[in-house]
Amino acid sequence: MKEIIDNLKNGIIKSNPVLILLLGLCPTLAVSTSIDNAFGMTAAVLFVLISSNVIVSLIRNYTPQRVRIPVFIVIIATLVTIVDLTMQAFLPSLSKSLGIFIPLIVVNCIILGRAEAFASKNKVPNAIMDAVGMGIGFGIAITIISFLRQILGTGNLSVFGNEIFSIPGLSENPMPIFILPMGAFLVISLLLATLRYSGVIKSG
Amino acid sequence: MTKSNLKQEIVPVLFLTFVVCISVIFLYATNSFTEEYIENTKNEAVKDMLKEQFTELDDYVYDEKMDLYTVFLNDEIIGYAFTTVANGYGGSIELIVALESNFTEDDEIIIHGISVVSHSETPGLGEKIVESSFSGQFNGVNINDVALTKDGGKIDAISGATISSSAVVDAVFNTVKEKTDIILNNLNINNEKGS
Repeated sequence: MKEIIDNLKNGIIKSNPVLILLLGLCPTLAVSTSIDNAFGMTAAVLFVLISSNVIVSLIRNYTPQRVRIPVFIVIIATLVTIVDLTMQAFLPSLSKSLGIFIPLIVVNCIILGRAEAFASKNKVPNAIMDAVGMGIGFGIAITIISFLRQILGTGNLSVFGNEIFSIPGLSENPMPIFILPMGAFLVISLLLATLRYSGVIKSG
Repeated sequence: MTKSNLKQEIVPVLFLTFVVCISVIFLYATNSFTEEYIENTKNEAVKDMLKEQFTELDDYVYDEKMDLYTVFLNDEIIGYAFTTVANGYGGSIELIVALESNFTEDDEIIIHGISVVSHSETPGLGEKIVESSFSGQFNGVNINDVALTKDGGKIDAISGATISSSAVVDAVFNTVKEKTDIILNNLNINNEKGS
């Protein structure tokens, strides 16, 4: 039991894929322009990560070593295509704003990384907990980044069309630089620096 | 080649083939399930776009060869619409252009309106192409007046976003010319057939 909880906590805190391992930065930087995108991306990544970890873990004893990477890629690509088609069918507006970054989950290093480093060597329950932990870790990171970018870039916070609050002064004169790609780099670097400095992340 | 060697060579290939086959089955199932919904949402999106221009439309026909939407009300043609792509400052700007239907010659072509489908222009500057203060300027303008005011036309550029503005103007002008040529040709052929 303790082992399973450790697997879960590992992804969220100790080896958070974005904030510690610095994996999967491409979607994190690119789609974190609004909280809606962050939630949509997290849901997609979580689904693909859990399913791929389960499948890879189930077939780990039968997969020949030499073709394991192609096998993992085929599995991940299939799952991603399923997510992409389902999103296009039922959530067209979200699918439009996430755009190319849904198909690009195929090459997201978090997913292949967990399949190769963890799921192919561990039992199914552990693999599920690892995927959930990593997925939540990714979700927390991308949510923090998009929260900061949306607040600074537009001056107000709205989630799925409901305005939650707006900062007087900033909403009239927002700083659109934080919505632009450059803002993503500023936010993530300042965030990492703050976490390092405050000791939340141990360097090393 | 010994027997165990052969096995070592062949098993990975078979395994990968097997995985690919399973994946194909899943993809086929997902595709046939979602195909209809995706088609529907696309049609809805197109209809909404056309409705933005022709609020009173009740039907439209899409001609794939000409890439042209003909809009009907009570079985009469009330206008034409088509999509075009402009090369903006931040990438492609996808536009829908609507025309009044009552033209028989080149210089009678009146633009009904334009709207921006998607764009990646700079927020706060080029982004203003979606606002009616810019795109509304096209409503009811003769095609020969579609040019920026500095070039003698009737469209005011967005200050600070000349590239975005002129990209839209150029794309509208060129595509309208191109499409109306086709429409007029078709009209003439039909007229000749009729007479």
